[in-house]
Parts: sequence; structure tokens; C-alpha cells
Amino acid sequence: MTRRLAPWVAGVVALAALPAIVPNSFYLHVAIMILMWTLLGSAWNLLGGFAGQVSFGHAALFGIGAYVTMILFLKAGLAPWWGIPLGGLAAALVSLPIGLVCFRLRGPYFSLATLAVAEIVKLVALNWETVTNGSVGFLITTFPPVRFFGLAVDWESKLPFYALAALLALGGLAATAWLQTSRLGAYLIAIRENEEAAEAVGIDTVRAKVLTFALSAFLAGLGGGFYAAYFRYVDPDAVLNINLSMEMVFIAMVGGLGTVAGPLVGAVFLTTVGESVRERFQVGHLIFYGLFMMLAIRYMPEGIWGRARRLLAALRARVLGHVAA
Amino acid sequence: MILHVEGLEAGYGKITALWGVDFDVARGEIVALLGANGAGKTTTLKAISGLVRPQAGAVLLEGEPLTGRSTMEIVARGLVHVPEGRKLFGEMTVRDNLLLGGFPPAARPHQAARLEQVFATFPRLRERERQLAGTLSGGEQQMVAIGRGLMAGPRVLMLDEPSLGLAPIMVEEMFRVIEEINRQGVTILLVEQNTEHALAIAHRGFVLESGRVVLAGTGAQLLADPKVREAYLGL
Repeated sequence: MTRRLAPWVAGVVALAALPAIVPNSFYLHVAIMILMWTLLGSAWNLLGGFAGQVSFGHAALFGIGAYVTMILFLKAGLAPWWGIPLGGLAAALVSLPIGLVCFRLRGPYFSLATLAVAEIVKLVALNWETVTNGSVGFLITTFPPVRFFGLAVDWESKLPFYALAALLALGGLAATAWLQTSRLGAYLIAIRENEEAAEAVGIDTVRAKVLTFALSAFLAGLGGGFYAAYFRYVDPDAVLNINLSMEMVFIAMVGGLGTVAGPLVGAVFLTTVGESVRERFQVGHLIFYGLFMMLAIRYMPEGIWGRARRLLAALRARVLGHVAA
Repeated sequence: MILHVEGLEAGYGKITALWGVDFDVARGEIVALLGANGAGKTTTLKAISGLVRPQAGAVLLEGEPLTGRSTMEIVARGLVHVPEGRKLFGEMTVRDNLLLGGFPPAARPHQAARLEQVFATFPRLRERERQLAGTLSGGEQQMVAIGRGLMAGPRVLMLDEPSLGLAPIMVEEMFRVIEEINRQGVTILLVEQNTEHALAIAHRGFVLESGRVVLAGTGAQLLADPKVREAYLGL
């Protein structure tokens, strides 16, 4: 039990200490991005990594979370800490009909269907101007004043967003850790390994997939809601962009599919690589980003964390072997 | 009759594979379903277990209709299909593969006892409990597939080509185990290319050709039938 809890405790301590260590707010911004992408990578990983259902449409769920959070704030005066979970719930709700339709298809056909659904959602957002403001989108100018344990929250600093992102990322990781040991998790791995056999042993594969999709959508929606509050700006191009869908896939893949820590590792690598090449090369920085991704996938198909975990296990076996001898 | 199949029609898209299959299986029997490649044996099993939706006809399990039900419901009613080619969860251990067969709600309380029973039937699997299923030999994988089916506590077990691709000694072992499972009270519907072996252990058999039953009889009758001997035994 202590061995299982130790990484979580260490993680929480590190997250709490980080703002005191970083030299300026740019690094805090990078940390916030890493945490947001950890949440989003985890969201995608539940469905893509465990159940093997590769979705190219998670941007739609992210976008729904972002829009719901934004609209609730601007039109109903609901603060983001209510709006973000409601955005997640909205995304989960929308995922149900999407899942019931798309899960009738398998493999690449499922992936293409999710891609199409994401495009539909984007077109709806662009054209349903009375609700979404079309291509203009929404902008938050000021947050309402709030107090947290007697202290006024300073929305101009990055600290409250950092705390929120840390909480959400931990939530995403915890959801994955729970899934890994749950019966639903076992069903999903069975579906990934062999869907027909999973059906033949009496697993309700559609139900397992739809449930997981809803959980995944909830987390992606939370990420979108957080994005809206943090960047204070939402439009179809920003929050319903196919790049968002792809980024979630890459983070889970580069980190390690179907593992708890994979999305965290993927988010750390891809965010830092992305930010540092952007700094160094004004033009064409995406080439280097893409190159890194190709190398990672080519030489570590099980992901950075997947590979590291195997090396650690081998090392531990060798050390223990020596101790025993 | 524990299983009654009547006028069963099924296919894939616009292609019809079964043109009205009729046969039945009595409680406690081993019934062999024989036929050449493409005769419709696998499709028959899939249509019974709900992996393929039948287009017409009836399947009754102890008088209750199965057609139109999902595979999950059919498993819960006590009919389990062990698909061809073993189809294990390769990245999971033998134990986890077996446990997954025992997760339907009705089977859950019996999980531990049935796991013991499977290990008693297949002592090899106890030795390999923690090994990844994908790393087992073909025969051992087939044992896992059958064991996984038994975990649901079936009244009727449908086995699709359990001897396919196995070494001769494993083939013998597999047929011996099928008889043993049958003696424990499980009714068996067996699809096989290994006609001689299948008829040797089967109480009765049916021969499929182009999606229809063309011949029926006891195991011994079919073994002696000149048409069967010529077409399937090469004698």
C-alpha cells in the first residue's frame, strides 16, 4: 500500500513546491500547460490506451467543455469553478449519443467517425451564432472577486490557475489508476486485445465502451473548461481545432498507452520540447516537434514511460538478484 | 432437447451463408457439426451465440428463444461459444484470461470455485497461471480458451475447431478433455475439420453443405457412411 501511495505523495509535494522554485511566470505557464495536457492525455488514454478505441475527435469534447464554461460565466454569471465541472458533465452527456453511433464501427472506421463528429461540432459552433457567437467567440474581461480561506484570489497571477490545473491533472491520473484496477478496466483491455472474444465471454462491449467514452469526455470537458478560464478566450478555431485531438493522441502515445503515468510523461516531454523549439526557432519549429515525435514513436513504440517501466523492472530484478546471491 | 435450431438463416452483408439450418442437441450429448470449408459451420455457431445476427429462423435453448438476444444475454442463459482460433487476450495472464470468462453477473459468485475446477481439468494451466497468454503453446492457448468458456458455467459449450493447428499428441489430449468436460454434465456442440476424431467422441453428428444440413446420424453411422468416408475422410 505504501509503495503504491508513495508516487502520489511525492507528486503532490513536488506540485506544491514548484511555484516557489520557478524563476518566473513563464515557467509557471509551462507547468500549467503540462498539467492541462496531462489531464487531456489521461482523458484520451482511458479510451484509446485501455480500450484501444482511437478517437480523433476529442477536440469536440474539449470544445464543449470550454463553451459551456464560458457561456455559463458570461450569460449566467456562474463562476468557472462551477462552470468547469458543468462543462465536463455537458461533454460527458454529449458523448453518449456520439458513442452509441460511432461504436457501431470498429477500428479505423471508428476513428474516422469521431473525426467527422468533431468537424460537425465545429461547424455547429461556427454557425449557431445566437448561442456560440459564431467565429467571433467569447472573451472574459474580468473575473468576479472571490476569497479563498480569507485571502482574495488574484486572477491576474498564474497561481490560482496552477492550483486548479494541478488538481485536475491529479484527478485525471487518479481516474486512470482507478480504472486500471477496476472490472471495467479489465473489460477494456479484453476489448483492446480481442473484441470478438470479449463479446464471446459475455462482456457487454458496447456498454463498457460507452461508459469509458463518457468518463473520457468528462475529463476532456474539464480540460476545455479550464482552458476557457485560463486563456479567457474561446472560439471555434481555438477550442474545436483538430490539432487538439491530435495532441491528445500524441501525448498518450509518446508517453505510454494504457499506463497511468504515460500521459504525464508525454505531456512533460511534448510540452517542454514544443516550448523550447518554439523559443529557439521562430520559423519552422513544428518540424522539430514532429521530428521528436517520429523518433519517439519509431524507437519507443511502447512510449517513454512504457520503456522506462520495463527498464526499471529489469534493473530491479538484477539488483534483487545480486542481493539474493 | 436442450438446443433446437430451425430454419436458421444468416450471412454477412449481402452474402447469405446459411440457407435454413435445422438440427438439435439433447442434454448431455456431444454433437459434431461437420462440413468442408465454407459450408457454414462457424457461421452457424456465431448465429446461435449472437455474434452474427440471424436473418431468419429460430434458436431455442431449453425452449426459450435466443434469436435477437445479445451475446451477453445468451452467455448469461448458459450457452457459451469458444471461437475459432482461440482469440485470447494475449497481453493478459492466463489467470486474468480465465477470470474474464467468469465476470457475467450470474457467474461472479462461483468464480473461485470454477477457477479451481478449470485448473483441475487443465493442470497445465495452473503451472502457467502468471504467464502471458500470448506466450503459451498452441495447445495451451486452446486450453485457456476452453477454460475461459467454462468459467461462465455453461450448460451448452460450443467449440469451434478446438484441434486446429495442434500437434497430433495435443489433438488426442484435446478430444480426451472434451469428453471429460461432457462427462461433468456440459452439453457440447463441436465444430471440427478433424472428422474422424470428432465422430469418434460424438453421440451424433450433422453434416453441413453450402449452408444446409445434408446428412445426420449417430457418430458411428456417419463414420460408416460412404459419402462421409469419401468426402471428409478421404477413404
